[in-house]
Order: sequence, then C-alpha cells, then structure tokens
Amino acid sequence: MEARPTLSIQRSGAKQLSNMGMSGALSSSLPVLPAPLQETYPKLPDSQHVYMERELVKRPFNHASHLPSDSGVAGHMFSSSPGFSSDLHYSSLLPHEEHSKTSPFISRSSTIQAAFPLTNTSHSISVQSTNSSHYAEENSASWNTDSLPSFLDFPVNTFIESSQVESSGCNTVLPSEEFGKWADQLISDDVANWNELLGDTNVTDLESKMACQVSKPSPNFQAHESQVHQQLPVPSGEIRAIATPTSSANSAPAKPRMRWTPELHEAFVEAVNKLGGSEKATPKGVLKFMKVEGLTIYHVKSHLQKYRTARYRPDSSEGSSEKKLTPIEDMSTLDLKTGIEITEALRLQIEVQKRLHEQLEIQRNLQLRIEEQGRYLQMMFEKQCKPGMDKLKASASTTSQNPPVPSSDAVPDSPAKTELKASQLDHCHGKTGAESVNANTGLEETSWELDGKEKAPEQEAPQDFEPDESSSQPSKRPRTDE
Amino acid sequence: MKFGKRLKQQMQQTLPGWRDKFLSYKELKQLVRQISSSPTQSNGSLEYGKAEKEFVYLLNNEIEKFNAFFMEQEEDFVIRHKELQQRIQRVVDIWGQNGSQPSEANYKDVMAKIRKDIVDFHGEMVLLVNYSNVNYTGLAKILKKYDKRTGGLLRLPFIQKVLQQPFFTTDLISKLVKECESTIEAVFPAEDGKKTRQPKQAITVAEEGIFRNTVAALQTMQDIRRGSSTYGHFSLPPLNLPDSDLTQSIQLISPIPII
Repeated sequence: MEARPTLSIQRSGAKQLSNMGMSGALSSSLPVLPAPLQETYPKLPDSQHVYMERELVKRPFNHASHLPSDSGVAGHMFSSSPGFSSDLHYSSLLPHEEHSKTSPFISRSSTIQAAFPLTNTSHSISVQSTNSSHYAEENSASWNTDSLPSFLDFPVNTFIESSQVESSGCNTVLPSEEFGKWADQLISDDVANWNELLGDTNVTDLESKMACQVSKPSPNFQAHESQVHQQLPVPSGEIRAIATPTSSANSAPAKPRMRWTPELHEAFVEAVNKLGGSEKATPKGVLKFMKVEGLTIYHVKSHLQKYRTARYRPDSSEGSSEKKLTPIEDMSTLDLKTGIEITEALRLQIEVQKRLHEQLEIQRNLQLRIEEQGRYLQMMFEKQCKPGMDKLKASASTTSQNPPVPSSDAVPDSPAKTELKASQLDHCHGKTGAESVNANTGLEETSWELDGKEKAPEQEAPQDFEPDESSSQPSKRPRTDE
Repeated sequence: MKFGKRLKQQMQQTLPGWRDKFLSYKELKQLVRQISSSPTQSNGSLEYGKAEKEFVYLLNNEIEKFNAFFMEQEEDFVIRHKELQQRIQRVVDIWGQNGSQPSEANYKDVMAKIRKDIVDFHGEMVLLVNYSNVNYTGLAKILKKYDKRTGGLLRLPFIQKVLQQPFFTTDLISKLVKECESTIEAVFPAEDGKKTRQPKQAITVAEEGIFRNTVAALQTMQDIRRGSSTYGHFSLPPLNLPDSDLTQSIQLISPIPII
C-alpha cells in the first residue's frame, strides 16, 4: 500500500496508474500483473525510517535498454520491466510545501504520507479509486484520503523495529557513514529547513524513501502471518488463503489457493462418499456438506477433479511425470530371482531418498537457525541503541561471547523499548557501523560453533532460540494492535 | 556462478513438468548486476529506489510461482497418499498380511507394483522438499548478492518473509514422507540376514525417473555445500553425508537427450 504514494508521484498523471503502479503502463498488455502485485504489496508495509539509509545509496537503475529482452524461464518477469522503467518518470509535482504541518522528526514521515493523497487527488488518477475498493487490508487503511489519518496512525509505531533492525543491519558499513552525516543534518535542521531539505532532494528522495519502505516486509505482516499459521491447526478445516492473509480480500474469489491438509481431505472424502462417490458428487453438494469456512466452490471443484483422476487412473496420476521409467511393468514375466533384484533395487532407491530427505531437513533447520540468529542480533542492536553507547560497547562484547544467554532478558525489554524513539534512532545509527562489525564477528563465531556440531546441536540450540522466537512473536503482536 | 550452474543442472535433471518452476536465478543475477553497475548520479537514490522496487516485485513473483506450484503438488500428494493407504489396505484385506495362497504370483505382482509405486511416491515428495530448499537457497543467495552489490538492506527482512511462505513450510510434506517410510517398512518383506545392499560395484542409474532425480538432487546438494568462496555467517557448512559411499557408488549417466 505504501507503494502507491510513490508510484502515484511518479506518474506524471498522463498515464493511468494501476494500483500496483509499476506495470501501470503495461496494464493493457499485462492485465495479470496488477493482481499479483496487489497481493504482494500489502505484504510490504512502510518502514518509514528505512529510507534514511536508502537515499544514501546512490545506485540508479538503468532503464529498459539494458534489461534482457527475454529468457525462457523469466520471460514473464521481464516483459514487465521495460514498461515499468520507462514509466517511472519523476514529476516534481510533489507538493512539499504541503509540509507546512509540524515536522518534528517523528511525524516527518507522517507528513510525507499526508502529502501523497493530496498529490493523488490533484492528479486525479481514477484507477486508484476503483482499486481501492478492492483493497481491504488488515494492516492499513484503504486508499481513500478520508481514511488517511488511520493510515498514518497505524504504521508509525509498528514498523520502527523493522526499520531500526534494518538500519543497524549487516551491511551498515557504507550506508552508516553517510547516514551519520544525513542524520546530523537532520538533527541540526529546524522545522523551516525541512521543506528545503526535502525540496532540495525533491521528489527523488521521497521516491526512494517510499520505495524502500515498500520493499521492507512487515514484521506486522509476519506477526499476522504467524497468527494465521498458529490458528491453522485449530479448526478442522485448515484453510489458508494464498501466502498473505489479505489476498483473499484483495483479489477475485477464485484466486486464493487452498492449502489442503490430510484432515481437510478426509472431510472431503467423507463428504464425497456420503454423496454417492466421486463420480456422483457435485462440487456444490460437497461444499455444502463440508461446511468449512473459507472454502469456495472453486477449491472443491479442482480438488474433486484431482481426486477423480487419482482414483480412476492411478497410473496416470502417479506416472504423469515419469513417462520414461524403466520397464518394470511387465511383472508377470519376471521370475522370482528378478523379483528379488527389483526389491533390492527399490530398497536402494528408498535409502537414497531417505538420505536426501534427512539432509534436506537438516539443511532447512540450519537455514532457519541462521536467520533466527541474524534476527536476534538485529534485535540486540536495536535494544542496545536505546540505552546509549556505553552499554552498546559492553553488550557487543557480551554478544560475541554468549549470544543466546541474554535472550530471555533482551526480548521482554524490547517491546517497551521499541516504542518509537526517533531521536535515539538516528543517534544510534550514526554509531552503528563499529558495533555492527563487532557483532558480526560475534555472530560468525557462534554460528560456526553451532554449525560445526551439526548433529548434536539440534537439542541445545533450539532451546536457546525457541524462547527467543516464541517471545519475539508475542512481543510483535501487541505492537500490531496499536 | 557455481550455484547458478548447479541450479541449472538440477533443473535439467528434474522431472519434466517441474523445469520451469524453479527460481530464475540467472535473470535475477543479471538484474542485480545491472542495478549495481549503473552509473551513479545525483538523483541516484531515486533510481535506486525504483530498481529495488522492481527487484522486489520480481522476487515476489517468483515466490508466488513457488507457492502456487508447491501447494498444487502438495494437494496432489495428500490425495495420492490417502489413495495409496487405501489401496494397500485393500490388498491386505484380500490377502492378509503375508502373501498367501490365492494366486501367489498375482500377489507378488500386485505387491511389487505397490512397492514400486510407494517408493516412487516417496521419492516425488522428497523431490518437492528438495525443490523448496533449492529455491530458498537461491533466494537467499540472490538477496545476499543484492545487498552486497547495492549496499542495500533487503536481505534480512525479506528472507524473514520468505521463511513464512507456504513453499518453505514443508512440514506437511515431511510428515507424509515419514508416514510413507513406515508404510514402506510394512510393505516390504523383512530384511533377510545381513544388508547385502552395500554396493560393491558401481551402480549405474541411466534411466530417467524418480530415483535418478533424487540421486542427482543429493549430489547437487553436496556440491553446493562443498565449500563456498564467500563464507559468511549466513553460509551453510559443507554437507556431511553419513554413508557417503552409498551415494558415491551411484553414477549418473546422462540420459539420451530428448529434444
């Protein structure tokens, strides 16, 4: 949703702006694009303070001329890019004079966002208003300018954590220096200078800021996702709209995918049997019988089709991707000896498959833990930023020694401390460069300790991380309610 | 580059219907290169913002692709799993647990067919888990590249989002795999004596099929994790296969190209 202000500015108004913006000019040729983007963008809420970093990294994107024209697999992706690039012109239409509102640091982003609807209305981009009706999102107000205040209220507090997280992130070496300068500039500027500051950088900075806001996934979203996840096992039918919880509201009813579970399938089979078998049962009847909330007739229809295929042509459904299998099919001619050989071959096959699966699980767990650790470190940074620099130094060394231990202490504190303290934010970011190096080495040591003992640590590490994870989830949720 | 090649290998060796469902790693890498090599200008940050947005947009498209494919397959597997269970149940009902009198040969045939089907089913599910993992790895790598090249901070929050996606939450499939394994235990005749399975000579797996794909997947995984030139704290350690002789003794012969 935060993408929209950006894109609306980009449009010079001459072109129709699809809700998704990026591929707006191609909306005629690629009508399907708005939909997925519509779904995905709700996932990307604003992290308002991330832009502080972004604008410092000056790497413009070279437009259409350099984009690969097509590649077999990614053809669909790149067909959109030329249009996208060429459409993103900058109009200096942003009424930054609109920032007459008070602009202390905290509400700065609010004012920026406040400016956008005004921009939009002045451009009178009609598409947006139609799309806004589709856009019912759990974490933000709709596009209507009326609801702007709520739009402002919501994100300000909730995404600070993520923004802080990112700003003190792994690659802070380069941006942090410039950020420091920018932050100093920011602090030293008074209200009057805000307009100039913004005016100088013009639309461009705001563009990048908004863009960066867009690109940051929302912890709120994640929290909601995890809520959705955790709610899933409870009801008998485990319904899950496609990736985002909001997409079902966004897109047409037929679009969201159902995640079929064995339990749901059991209910389905029961319904089908009661209705006289897979041939006789109708989707409507099955749907009615199952009485599962959120299940649509489209889901049932497609599932019924799959079911029928699986039942009455088991060879075709299983062998669909194995057309060229070895000829073991002619069983009747095989004598006992060959039968044993075949069984042995199958045993070997199953062994290899088991092995692969085992390794995949291990790998997945490792990956999860690595990310968990990264996230933990970010939280540590953020927490340390608040109290001040001295504590930061001390904690950094503590981190490198024994990161998991203070987790239970750290996390409960963070909800309180992650209330937006913007002044501390830039304060801390200016100095983050050094500490991030410390902490990174700390992370490196510990992560390799863990990874070195691949087999054993399954027991110990999860203990360390689970309290972190479980408490970090609830700590995120209260913030989303704000 | 290494991962890209491995990914391509995997894609070529995977089941035909899956080939276009993998991550478009090469294209994304090219995009990253483009983004990072573009000349910096005074309004560079704006360009960068656009570039990042596009990058994110493409990544999201990829994720959508994975999710759609994964959930489709998952649904199929759920159905087939149940059907297999029922099929075995029917066989057991007719013939009892051990193969008994009525048409012994027929029983053997039926059982052989069932065994083959189960093992292949198991393999397909494992391949789906592998699919999920390969794509996740690719995403992690491309995000890392992006951050490195553009100085961005996209990776960490984005990957957190990815972790929650359906295509990465493979718990259900893993559960089905485990159930399948226990069914297989039940369906296969008891191990006779010592495990003579340890292959003394190389086994060549020339034909296409599930087995070939799983072997390929395993080998690829090993290769990918053999040792990275850019070890960081987000890198996976080298793969540690317990019975490496098992897989090493299996050679893959490339199939006769069908074009």
